[in-house]
Amino acid sequence: MSYLVKRGHIEMWQKSGTCIGLLLLLCILAGCTITDSAFARTTGNAGSAFAAAMTTLAYEHEGKITSAYAASSFADFQSELTGTDQTLLAQGAANTQTVRHLLALYTPAMQVIDAPCLSNACDWRTQDALLQRASQAFLEAGNT
Amino acid sequence: MLDPQDEVFSIRDILDSQLLTSDGRRIGRVADIEAEVRTDDGLILTYLVAGPQALAGRINTHLRDLFRFFFRDRFEQRIPLSEVTKFGPTLHLRGKAKDYAVGQSDRWIAEHILRWIPGGRL
Amino acid sequence: MKKQWTSIALGIVTAIGGFLDAGTIATSGEAGAKFGLGLVWIVLVATVAVILLVEMVGRFTAVSKKTYAEAIREDFGFRFYLLPLASEVIAESMLLAAELGGVAIALSLFTGISWHILFPFVALFVWIIIWRGSFDLIENGPALLGLVTLSFLAGIVALGGIPAQLLPTLWHPSFQQGTVADYLYLVAAILGSTISPYLLYFYSSGAREERWTGASLLLNRVTAIVGMGFGSMGSLALLVLAAIVLQPLNISASTLGELGIAMAKPFGIVGSLLFASVLFATCLGAALEVVLAVSYNIAQGFGWEWGENKKPAEAARFNLVMTIFLLIAVAIGLTGIDPLQLALFASTIISLFLPISLSPFLILMNDPQYLGKKTNRRFTNIAMVCILVLAFLVALISLPLEIITGGG
Repeated sequence: MSYLVKRGHIEMWQKSGTCIGLLLLLCILAGCTITDSAFARTTGNAGSAFAAAMTTLAYEHEGKITSAYAASSFADFQSELTGTDQTLLAQGAANTQTVRHLLALYTPAMQVIDAPCLSNACDWRTQDALLQRASQAFLEAGNT
Repeated sequence: MLDPQDEVFSIRDILDSQLLTSDGRRIGRVADIEAEVRTDDGLILTYLVAGPQALAGRINTHLRDLFRFFFRDRFEQRIPLSEVTKFGPTLHLRGKAKDYAVGQSDRWIAEHILRWIPGGRL
Repeated sequence: MKKQWTSIALGIVTAIGGFLDAGTIATSGEAGAKFGLGLVWIVLVATVAVILLVEMVGRFTAVSKKTYAEAIREDFGFRFYLLPLASEVIAESMLLAAELGGVAIALSLFTGISWHILFPFVALFVWIIIWRGSFDLIENGPALLGLVTLSFLAGIVALGGIPAQLLPTLWHPSFQQGTVADYLYLVAAILGSTISPYLLYFYSSGAREERWTGASLLLNRVTAIVGMGFGSMGSLALLVLAAIVLQPLNISASTLGELGIAMAKPFGIVGSLLFASVLFATCLGAALEVVLAVSYNIAQGFGWEWGENKKPAEAARFNLVMTIFLLIAVAIGLTGIDPLQLALFASTIISLFLPISLSPFLILMNDPQYLGKKTNRRFTNIAMVCILVLAFLVALISLPLEIITGGG
């Protein structure tokens, strides 16, 4: 199966290639304008992660998941959420008041993520409330 | 003149064909071919070439030279066409795997690398 | 006759297990959590595509007695062969790292030990199995374990089925939790994770190892349709679970553990551990298949001895390549990238490379030299070309979008 590539074919491919390339560039640019900004992305993802953490903590105390499962999940949340404050500061130049508000909630919530209360010996409900407040605030920031 | 019973094979059919030895072992594929110009018969296929250098040569001649610098022809094998007993997508060879250098590499790896791993011995 | 039925059963079981892996779990979970039922259509499209592909590759190998990789090298030459080979090695090494990570995370959810620590042990475990295990063990072991996937369906029933308000999202996805860029990224990732070329290399080689002939064509067709169909149900079940449980909780399933919550709600601890079991079994099966698929590709393309039923020293180059490829995946995994995110990314890259991986296949499927009278029908060709073009374009658009808007 040898294909004889004629000169005319090469030109045709070059022209269609350029057309497709321009079309794609247009699509990407259009996509950029209708999709969310990076800031909204970060806050949305962080909000979801805090929500997941909150539910995980609650489920562990309701006996719906084991402590091992919860501990493993929190380790993943930790790697996902660590550094979000830096990212926010870098991306949130346009919304400094929002960023300050979010950071104020981020710090205590991260303390919970780093050291969740998985036994009955500590106050998990307060931790849960901290996570919930952070989650709500971040999600709202992502939706505006 | 072609005998009607002769099957016609093009170079394209022979290149990249599987090489199978008489003891049923796959030793590699045809990477390249050598041909001679003979005054009476025109261009005659004389050797099949297998090995990393020949393969590299299919991509680029400089790459082949680079491979030759490292491998120094140790893994190259020129197989005379007379060794082929049967033609087709798989070329059947007259000899056994140990008769061909390119068939030795499985054995070489088994003896020098795999032996250190439990279960790697023959 | 009985042997035939056992063969069918095993083939179906393998197909069910083969459908779900780190990639499809990651994509189905995120799809349901972020967009409700809005991505069900692409899962169905991908299912049709993979059923067609699996049937084709089985037919090809049974009739021509050649595996896919052998046919590419012999028909297109060495230089062209390097293209699908390169795309396979790049994409599948990332996917393998994600699969191993999936197994590690599953074990982590059981034990509480960090998955980073468990990861190298998982790799070692996988290596031991492929080093010494027979083809039957590798094909059937994880597949039988993977039947646990059916528990997802039980979960949906236990939650009272699909709530009525979720149904409109089938044609009108909800965008509250995800963006347009996310949506496109998931379309590409779903296609790439379902239509994984490694399946073709593996299935084709398996058909050779089991000595399929032209008489096996009906068996092949049944296996493809029923097996992949059932497997797709597992994937859709997870998507629906995520839509029912996670979306209302604002959880977007960006880590694998979160998906277990969807099973913990109806079934408690048992549910969460069932999810971890599914993760373990399907990722393990997929890891074995990916390693073997790439090694088969290389060994067959270069004309070496290959096969799981041979002792390591008999197919030394094949086994050496397997070991090296596994080490590459371990290196990628040790960078600590989250397996779910890596699975999504690898799936999108696979989608991008699909034209390179699969167009040789489509050409071969229409070559009477290999298939005699059993070449493709026109409908199959058109369907496959459309799907390939879709996958490629969506991946091409969504990858830069994801990177520019800071996601992924």
